[in-house]
Amino acid sequence: MATTIWPSIAAAVANSPHIARSPLAWDPASLLLARFAFGDQPATRAELATYGYDGWWARQLAMPTGYAAQPTIAAHGSLLGLSPKDVRAWLKANGNEYGWELMDQLTEVTLGLQTWSPAQLYEVVVDFFANHLNVANHSDGVWTTRHTMDRDVIRKSAFGSFTDMLLASAKNPAMLQYLSLAQSTKSAVNENYGRELLELHTVGLGNYTEDDVKSAAKLLTGRTIDADYNYLYNPNKHYVGPLSVMGFSHPNSTAAGGEAAGDAFLTYLASHPKTASRLAQKLCVRFVSDTPTPSLVAAVAQAYLANGTRILPMLSTIVRSTEFWTSRGAKVRRPAENLVATVRIFGYGPGVLTTTLPTLHWMSSSVGQVPLDWSPPNGYPDVATAWRSSGSMLNLWEYHRGFAQSWWDGFDKIDLTKLYGTPAPTTSGAAIAALCVRLTGGKLPAAHLQALQTFLGEPASTPLDKSMLRWYLAHLVPLILDSPTFALR
Amino acid sequence: MNDISRTAMTADLENAMTDSSTAGLPAGDALLVGQAADVRTQLCEQDAAWRGGHTRRTFLAGLGMVGVAALGSQLVTTRAAYAAPGASNGNTLITVFLRGAADGLRILVPASSDLGLDYLTSVRPKLVPTALSPLAGTGGWALNSALKPLLPFWDSGELAFVPGVSTGGITRSHFQAQSYLERGSDTSTTGWLDRALAQLGPGTTFRAVAEGATLPAAMAGEQTKLVVNSLKNFVFPGWSGVAPQSETAIATMYRGLTGPLGEDVPTTLAALATAASAQAKAGVQNGAVYPSGNFSTALKDLATLLRAEVGMQVATVDVGGWDTHTDEVNQLDRNLASAASSLAAFLTDLGPDRRKRVTVAVVTEFGRRIAMNASGGTDHGHGSVVWLLGGGLQGGKVHGRWTPLAANTLDAGDVPGVNEVFDVLGELAQKRLGVGSLSALFPNHSFSPLGVANANTIPMPNQPPPPVAIRRGPRPR
Repeated sequence: MATTIWPSIAAAVANSPHIARSPLAWDPASLLLARFAFGDQPATRAELATYGYDGWWARQLAMPTGYAAQPTIAAHGSLLGLSPKDVRAWLKANGNEYGWELMDQLTEVTLGLQTWSPAQLYEVVVDFFANHLNVANHSDGVWTTRHTMDRDVIRKSAFGSFTDMLLASAKNPAMLQYLSLAQSTKSAVNENYGRELLELHTVGLGNYTEDDVKSAAKLLTGRTIDADYNYLYNPNKHYVGPLSVMGFSHPNSTAAGGEAAGDAFLTYLASHPKTASRLAQKLCVRFVSDTPTPSLVAAVAQAYLANGTRILPMLSTIVRSTEFWTSRGAKVRRPAENLVATVRIFGYGPGVLTTTLPTLHWMSSSVGQVPLDWSPPNGYPDVATAWRSSGSMLNLWEYHRGFAQSWWDGFDKIDLTKLYGTPAPTTSGAAIAALCVRLTGGKLPAAHLQALQTFLGEPASTPLDKSMLRWYLAHLVPLILDSPTFALR
Repeated sequence: MNDISRTAMTADLENAMTDSSTAGLPAGDALLVGQAADVRTQLCEQDAAWRGGHTRRTFLAGLGMVGVAALGSQLVTTRAAYAAPGASNGNTLITVFLRGAADGLRILVPASSDLGLDYLTSVRPKLVPTALSPLAGTGGWALNSALKPLLPFWDSGELAFVPGVSTGGITRSHFQAQSYLERGSDTSTTGWLDRALAQLGPGTTFRAVAEGATLPAAMAGEQTKLVVNSLKNFVFPGWSGVAPQSETAIATMYRGLTGPLGEDVPTTLAALATAASAQAKAGVQNGAVYPSGNFSTALKDLATLLRAEVGMQVATVDVGGWDTHTDEVNQLDRNLASAASSLAAFLTDLGPDRRKRVTVAVVTEFGRRIAMNASGGTDHGHGSVVWLLGGGLQGGKVHGRWTPLAANTLDAGDVPGVNEVFDVLGELAQKRLGVGSLSALFPNHSFSPLGVANANTIPMPNQPPPPVAIRRGPRPR
């Protein structure tokens, strides 16, 4: 059955069957904010109510890009605007020429923006492509350059074209170091980048031969870095001679023209239908379900090819599909997504950034998902089966309690009774229901509400001023975040 | 569910287990069966609680069927439950990963001219240990005396080494090399231990334990594992006064959920109880003395779990701090002394009998340069050393091939990788764990064992009871 793509988001919401994967219920606002944002926030929900789905989407597209949408967090990344040379000079002047400050700052700013940037759609797309063109942060040789991949490649083109992003990535010092392209020369070809370019960045396994890998690697020789860790095309290291890779061929007849030949090849790859399918498949897994239908994937790939490899038409196709709107509950929140969504749903502000950002960093580390830190080149896995860990589950349950009970320094203290909203509930049962609406956007299944009521050990009719909630509110709230309605999305 | 029905139910179960399963079995078997019974009882209690406590017959009839299986298909081991013959043989393989590339040449020293000591001394005079413990019968190998706590295990045949270890796809990048080793090839997206678990079939909640913050790449994949930061902290978080009620509420909310969380939440909750009971019985045995430090604590946790017979088949421990680009003499020897005393404490704690079923492989991503650098350290090299400890080993030996060190025998200035690391790990998986085919574990590797281990000879604690001859009456006409 072909997936229907509607002309607007509102039309898709209105015309999709109002269903979800059990035990979650139809709730379009929660679905949108759990997929195209890092979770719900009271303010975001209000914005959605005011402007409507299409209005919210348009406002997201109009947000400042780069780091500019959240100046407070951006200011924490004091090294992220520097050149590799200046980063190194700063590190040296501050005690350790080989220090990790830049890499740590990048992690912290990324977490901070995911949590507090109003440009949520942008941050989600940045996260997707940072994993698609993964360069492991905190890895060898990128301690002065890793931010350039984020700043000059991913963030620059996240709302632009994939061709531009791919071309920039193939001239990025961090990428060149990470996948050994900087060391690849005509006399000692290193196939690392050439292989990952075909396997991971573009067409995918099964669409090229080993000879294609070798030719791709040869064609891209000469791309290296200078002593200051800036990108440099060195024609003396470039392999000269005709080359063909898949359906692309190039005379590659001069060393001086080698860089342009490589760019032509990269452009060919970016607009290849197999690249379109691969990106579409990954985006649908990211935003819809672990097993999207071929029909939706084809529609998304078509949007990419018909729009000059631009990224946003793919997202727009997904968000206007019936398949998206009927998929609530089909995805599990990965650990760091659960963590960030927890901070957002309570409405915590950035607080004292020098404390709160490192706190989020170690928390994401303890649950095994520090943003940008996946060490192999394939990026963090995006399906639930890859994230099974009892330890991180217990850690997340701990963070639900810690944030409900204001355990951590640097964050403002929160008053949980404010979560009841207005008008204030008068009974235990009404209070539980109000908390569920506030924290998950809607009602929990009856059996789950009953489990929470049983936790309190009192009937739903118990007046609030006589309820166990007077003492157990801080212990009940985390249970709502432990529930499937929050763990799934 | 009321207490009376719970007690009756438990008694029924216990009778059933005793009658059918434990009679005449050796003590180890009875223990495992008992463990399975405990787990089943917990599950049945949960199940009955969720159903309102009035369906005792229903769930007893459904034992091992949908009701219980759906609660935690990974929880009740087939082998312990005797429901189906599992492939596991009751042994445990622990891999310790020294992250950062430990310098094998300062761990296991080629301390004779025949092995290349002269060249070694010429390019790293300050890094050849001054205190060496010669290993008799090895043609001149010697241990850095920082490892002295391990020498008794060499004498008892519970310690062996393989020098010059690497494999084809390994580069000198920490991250690439670690990833390659842990995945078992450059094309695998899951870890080799995950694929070993898949071959061993279902196991207990504790069948695969990763000590540390996150799942190591060696365990990445679809098999269920427990990632345990520390057994002490493997508890329900928050105020303990509401923990039981909180666990009940969570269990209820995940009841019947399909997908990974529907399995993992009950598994985790059940593991909490097992972890707590193991922890309650924790206590170092045989006068072992663990030093302080994360590695030591992780090993102590594993000893606790092994003693509690929770069905652990594989475990991993990560130890950082081996990237000795500077001041190697002090940095490395301090690490080695700590690692050796931790491992010695672990083996001592387990005792001579239990450690026959436990094999430890200590690996690192690659070795280091032979020549010392300008900072009194060494840069990234190639061939490394694997340490093997515990049961089932061809112990007291240095295994594999070795090319005596000389200027013309090196791999780009480094120790050549003359012994394949996947041959060593594969042999352990096959002989100690009972994994059948290795082609799924190390897809691009052709296996050629070095003879580091012995095939399992200990009676399997989980062997299904011999079939009872059923006396048939005369065939009815």
